[in-house]
Amino acid sequence: MNHDNQGLDFSTVIASTVHDMKNSLAALTQAHGQWVSRMPPELRSASEQGVIEHEFSHLNSMLVQLLGLYKLGVNQLPVCPDYHELDDFIEAQLAQHQEVLVQRDILATWRIDTDAPLGFFDRELVASVVANVIDNAIRHAGHALLLSIEEEDEQLIICINDDGPGYPKVMIERQEEFVQGIDQSTGSTGLGLYFAARIAALHERDGIRGRIEISNGGTLGGGLFKLYLP
Amino acid sequence: MLQYGQKSFLIVDDYSDFRTSTRSMLRELGAREVDTADSGEQALRMCAQKRYDFVLQDYHLGDGKKNGQQVLEDLIIDKLISHECVFVMVTAESSQAIVLSALEHEPDAYLTKPFNRVGLAQRLEKLTQRKTLLKPILQALDRSRPAEVLAACAELCRKDPRFAPLCLRYRADALRDLNRFDELEKLLTAILSSRPQPWAYAALGSLLHKRGKVSQAQGVYDQALKAFPIMPGLYDGMAQVLVAQGESKRAQNMLEEAVRLSPLAVRRQSMLGKLAMENGDFEGATKAFRQAVNQGKSSRYKDPECNLNLAQALMSKNQGHGLDARTRVEINTVLSEVAKDNADDQGLQVRARMMKAASLQQVGDPETAGKLTEQAVQRLEKMEQFFSVDAALTVARQLQALGQDGAAVSILKGCVETYGDDPKVMESVSKLTDDPAVLNAVTQAVELNRQGVRSYQGGDLKEALDIFRRALAMQPKNISISLNTTQALLRIAGDKLSEEVMQECRKSLNGVAGIPASDNRYDRYRKLHIRVFGA
Repeated sequence: MNHDNQGLDFSTVIASTVHDMKNSLAALTQAHGQWVSRMPPELRSASEQGVIEHEFSHLNSMLVQLLGLYKLGVNQLPVCPDYHELDDFIEAQLAQHQEVLVQRDILATWRIDTDAPLGFFDRELVASVVANVIDNAIRHAGHALLLSIEEEDEQLIICINDDGPGYPKVMIERQEEFVQGIDQSTGSTGLGLYFAARIAALHERDGIRGRIEISNGGTLGGGLFKLYLP
Repeated sequence: MLQYGQKSFLIVDDYSDFRTSTRSMLRELGAREVDTADSGEQALRMCAQKRYDFVLQDYHLGDGKKNGQQVLEDLIIDKLISHECVFVMVTAESSQAIVLSALEHEPDAYLTKPFNRVGLAQRLEKLTQRKTLLKPILQALDRSRPAEVLAACAELCRKDPRFAPLCLRYRADALRDLNRFDELEKLLTAILSSRPQPWAYAALGSLLHKRGKVSQAQGVYDQALKAFPIMPGLYDGMAQVLVAQGESKRAQNMLEEAVRLSPLAVRRQSMLGKLAMENGDFEGATKAFRQAVNQGKSSRYKDPECNLNLAQALMSKNQGHGLDARTRVEINTVLSEVAKDNADDQGLQVRARMMKAASLQQVGDPETAGKLTEQAVQRLEKMEQFFSVDAALTVARQLQALGQDGAAVSILKGCVETYGDDPKVMESVSKLTDDPAVLNAVTQAVELNRQGVRSYQGGDLKEALDIFRRALAMQPKNISISLNTTQALLRIAGDKLSEEVMQECRKSLNGVAGIPASDNRYDRYRKLHIRVFGA
């Protein structure tokens, strides 16, 4: 960080502003939720409502990501892994998006194919990645979304699959460049991949680092995002 | 299914809109008993009145107020919530709260704003399930029975080994409380070689340090800081290890790093201030103690020592330059606070006055300084409690500087009587006086005490007791000799404590009743006191 106090350190300014924005947005979202619950049912299910819910959530994910990237940049992002119940983790991620899913008529399901009911990771960090990917998937999905957790060579794999058109071919081919932060031409999706890869890599065991992988297909045939956690 | 209607909830948030919206979410879920508080202080009062099943605590409650972490610490340490209570920390940004939190007391879960009703219900449902699973462990914790905690953990691991990882921390804490250090070391080493976590590093580091394996402890903290460079608690442990090895400069650097990550910690700031003082960095010391004093206002770790140290640091910083008006006001304010908050503590009353007198002397007002010193000396003559070594040396030095050599010698003499078995204390005292009546007062008693310890360790308890008694007759106010005599008496008597033995124990302990709580033998004193006096 800049210690010589000559003018403003712009990234610090952005970070503290984003922090305040996040607070404002939280207040806005919660107040809106209260307001909607008092509306007559026909207004409650208006399509604008879906847009508002989704954009609130999208804005929030972006702010979380921005703060995360800032903290990564100044080496202040804490990693605090612990054992978490996998079903709890997955249910919580879906619950957060419940209203949007209903509004958009998307059926979200989840499945856990692991021996152990517990996984070892930083819940908050991984949740911020998963929230981003779900947001993205909701935007592209037709009517289905599948969250699943598998196990492979003692690694946990969190998968998010949708039934949309899938990731663009060029993005899949050049995913390594997004992960490394070389290509930022696709805006938020590319930045999201970069963030996800950095969070994944913060999880390390016996020299093996976490990673991400995107492809098309899976059970639902659309975009398939995989987060590997050693 | 969680029966919301039968549970009690407390929402703590300084922002009324959030309290309202969270309360309506809980109401919609069927909750009937939902209380709210707008500050940590209010939350603590409410938890003292009523047992809550759920506490939803906002992390940031405004500057100068207790934050969520402090509220959690107070609730746990003062036993205002049961371990079965679900405590959820609500934050705008969880990573910040995690860095600012302490490793010892973690909430059951973090919940990030904004959240909706479905999200809230999902978390509460799951947390209730987990608490139900862990119920026998949590009940044993509420009864403060570490052995039962271990048994409950073993039972859970036997019934469903897949949940064994959830027991690790409970097992480690219980082993620590039972002083089963070999097993604890093994458990922690195993945890760290498989799935390292910050708390396990901190626990192993502090265990090794406590067992005197200082360089091994340092190795553990080295590793810990590589793996978790953003956990302030690990820097604290490292600093303590460095202090033990006499590396106070590096220790200071460690704490500066910790404070940069997490400035809100009274004890950390105070420790940093002490190290900076030791290293002659009065600017740094002033900053740290100022923080400690300010933060202390809303913290359970408020400590008058920080006020006295801040005054001292300000004076040292300006040594040879008098004191400007602003500094004088600051010194007056922090010292008046000590005098006001500790009306019954004679030692602190004397020390605050002497510090004030020393500052007046530095300002160039020897007359008022002299008057204050007179007052302090009068109080000193009636004082029953012992000064800690540092306090005694400081006051003696100040008395000397203010021309009260007689009073200074009598303090040093008292200090030697109480702590003279420690060569380091004798060395410090000898820097302030060459009066043989002070310096040679204890030699013989201390030598006898040493012999006694050798006999005790060699198993000859009767001989040890005999020697301790002779030492105690010479120095009835020496803490070590008194505790050793009492311990030998109790050990020999075993279960058959006669009234005669009890009386001798009481007399021996009464001699050192003035022991300051900051003394590292205080716990031992308290334990013996409980056996002898029943409280």
